[in-house]
Amino acid sequence: MNAEKLSDLKRANQKVDSSFASLISRIQVPRGAGRMVILLLITFAIFAILNPRVFLNPVNLQNIGVGAPEIGLISLAMMLAMLTGGIDLSVVAIANVSAITVSSLYTAVSAGAGPETAESVAPFIVLAGVGVGAALGAVNGVLVSVVGITPILTTLATMQLFNGIALIWTGGVTISGAPSVLTAIGRSTAVGVPILFVILVVVAIVLAVVIDRTPIGRKIQLQGANPTAARYSGISSRTTLMATYVISGILGALAGLIFLSRNPSASADYGSSYILLAIVIAVLGGTNPNGGFATVFGVVLATLTLQVVSSGFTALRLSAYEYAIAQGVLLIAVMVFDQLRFRRRARSSPPATSETVAVATHRSANTRSTGKD
Amino acid sequence: MDMLHRLRGPNNEGVLAAVILVVIIGMSLASPAFLTPNTFFALVRSSLVPLVFALGVLMVMISGGIDVSFPAIAIFAAYTTVAWSSQASFDPTLVGIFAIAIVVGALWGLLNGFVIARFRLPTLIVTLGTQGIIKGVLLTYIGSAYISAGALPPSVSGAGGAYLVDIPGAGYLHMMLVPVVLLAIAVWWMLTRTTFGRSIYAIGGDIEAARRVGIKVVRTQVLLYVLVGGLAAIGGVIFVILGRNANPQTLVGTELDIIAAVVLGGASIFGGRGSVLGTVLGVLLVQLINNNLVLIGVPSTWQRAAVGVLLLVGVSIQAFAALRSRPSAVLLEKEVSRA
Repeated sequence: MNAEKLSDLKRANQKVDSSFASLISRIQVPRGAGRMVILLLITFAIFAILNPRVFLNPVNLQNIGVGAPEIGLISLAMMLAMLTGGIDLSVVAIANVSAITVSSLYTAVSAGAGPETAESVAPFIVLAGVGVGAALGAVNGVLVSVVGITPILTTLATMQLFNGIALIWTGGVTISGAPSVLTAIGRSTAVGVPILFVILVVVAIVLAVVIDRTPIGRKIQLQGANPTAARYSGISSRTTLMATYVISGILGALAGLIFLSRNPSASADYGSSYILLAIVIAVLGGTNPNGGFATVFGVVLATLTLQVVSSGFTALRLSAYEYAIAQGVLLIAVMVFDQLRFRRRARSSPPATSETVAVATHRSANTRSTGKD
Repeated sequence: MDMLHRLRGPNNEGVLAAVILVVIIGMSLASPAFLTPNTFFALVRSSLVPLVFALGVLMVMISGGIDVSFPAIAIFAAYTTVAWSSQASFDPTLVGIFAIAIVVGALWGLLNGFVIARFRLPTLIVTLGTQGIIKGVLLTYIGSAYISAGALPPSVSGAGGAYLVDIPGAGYLHMMLVPVVLLAIAVWWMLTRTTFGRSIYAIGGDIEAARRVGIKVVRTQVLLYVLVGGLAAIGGVIFVILGRNANPQTLVGTELDIIAAVVLGGASIFGGRGSVLGTVLGVLLVQLINNNLVLIGVPSTWQRAAVGVLLLVGVSIQAFAALRSRPSAVLLEKEVSRA
């Protein structure tokens, strides 16, 4: 009798073990990055062949480098929220509020104490902008983790709220003025590479290290991969989600600073179309919208690809609306492709784990995707 | 206590009605211009289109999804129909216009439903994708020109001036109220009295359980999105009729306001819960605030923040209610010591 029970226990143990192993292996496979390299090269080649004179022009290439960082940072914020199985619709609103903070603080100080003083305290003004981003991110974090509102609704509501705050603050008009440090950064290049692009790369590396090499990054990944398992392994979902949304808010604020450095003005409704684009980029870059999987490298490559497509469409004189079609088709095609490949892999893996993997994918595909998105 | 419970309603409709009452009382105290038939007629008029969209969003939300492509479908269907009719100089009458638009909308809905149900993809992301596609196709291949009242088919421009009640000096009640009320009743009937409606609730409650009791999940989901596409098209045509112009650049971007109203109306984002009555109240509350904030002296820039706060309060109430009713799982050691 005891022996039977023991073997039952053993089997259960093995099951848990193999399902956990498959979970971990899912986290570690750099899905998306390799594919994105190929996709980037292909799109680049297509446009280079179709219109080499305009597309391969150094000015156009630099424009790609200048245009990518702001949407790239927003996409990274989106990716981070998606990594925990959530989403951050408020990130563009956060970016705008941060930009407005910096711009209005700067103009207030330079009106009150003179432009020189304003320039000398510019670092603090910029820090204040980042602080505002972190604070707004913390609002999201509290609502998601403490109050327990599902992320899509939280950020839907806070998007309206932050946007409303920005509208009240600016009265609905575009305000201008930014520390010259920012505008100088926006204009300068290092060995032909725009500084803004360098900033994107640096931030991406830092974020990648945080996600892959620090305890909080691991927790964020596990939280998204399986919230229940994370909870039972003693991970505080509260702290994890809080950290996620604060970092996402900071990334949004950085994007806001980049808006400012490209064009020293801020408004409440700048970049409202970026939300869709950011989700497209995050998913294209290999982020699983159900959580648990994302690569920073993939998202950066996806940003570049979309930027290449965008400037390629311009070079071919196609309209912004045709670009919208391309975005939509890309988004759906990539997701369908992923889903098909995921199912095939689930079927072809060895029998010992196939059951658990199939259950896991089936689960995540069904209940989570159609249930909680 | 029991009566209190009944008054609250299964989805907090009672609370919402009370909030609306408080807002109305507050606004009439703040401004004597508020309590007039004019305000009431304007409220009804501005609620018509959002309500039609909200009914569609409600159905998707009950099934556990979220749809952001409906404004794109709406303007696509309405604009395509009207543009074709005015180009062909053929007026298929109002019924014909609605019918053509519904078919166009249902086809886009079919695409949504097929991709979502067949590949089991997150509805938000799929509909974001189709939103981009629909808007792009409309503006690139159908047309981007504004169609003014004079160029609209006579039946459409004529319907724009058809009033049910017209009190000189005090406003009017638009004819389009009739189809909207009928739609609301039809959706209510379908959701509560038909097998299809109950299947939507079942899928939203637990998709796996629904599959095991024999509900054809894929078929139901596809049919649902087809219906919602058709509903969006109706909303789009009513929008054109009320506005007396067709502008392909409008509507897209308003999706979140509608979703906010539906959520306020007590529908659960997790699926399985939501009612037509709550949705009607939610739409009325949002429109009440949108229309009349200026009247009581609050600058219009506050509108968005006010709706945001309202939405936050609405979803927080939901979240707390869900927290309370959740069966307690095994507690962690930390939680045991805290308790």
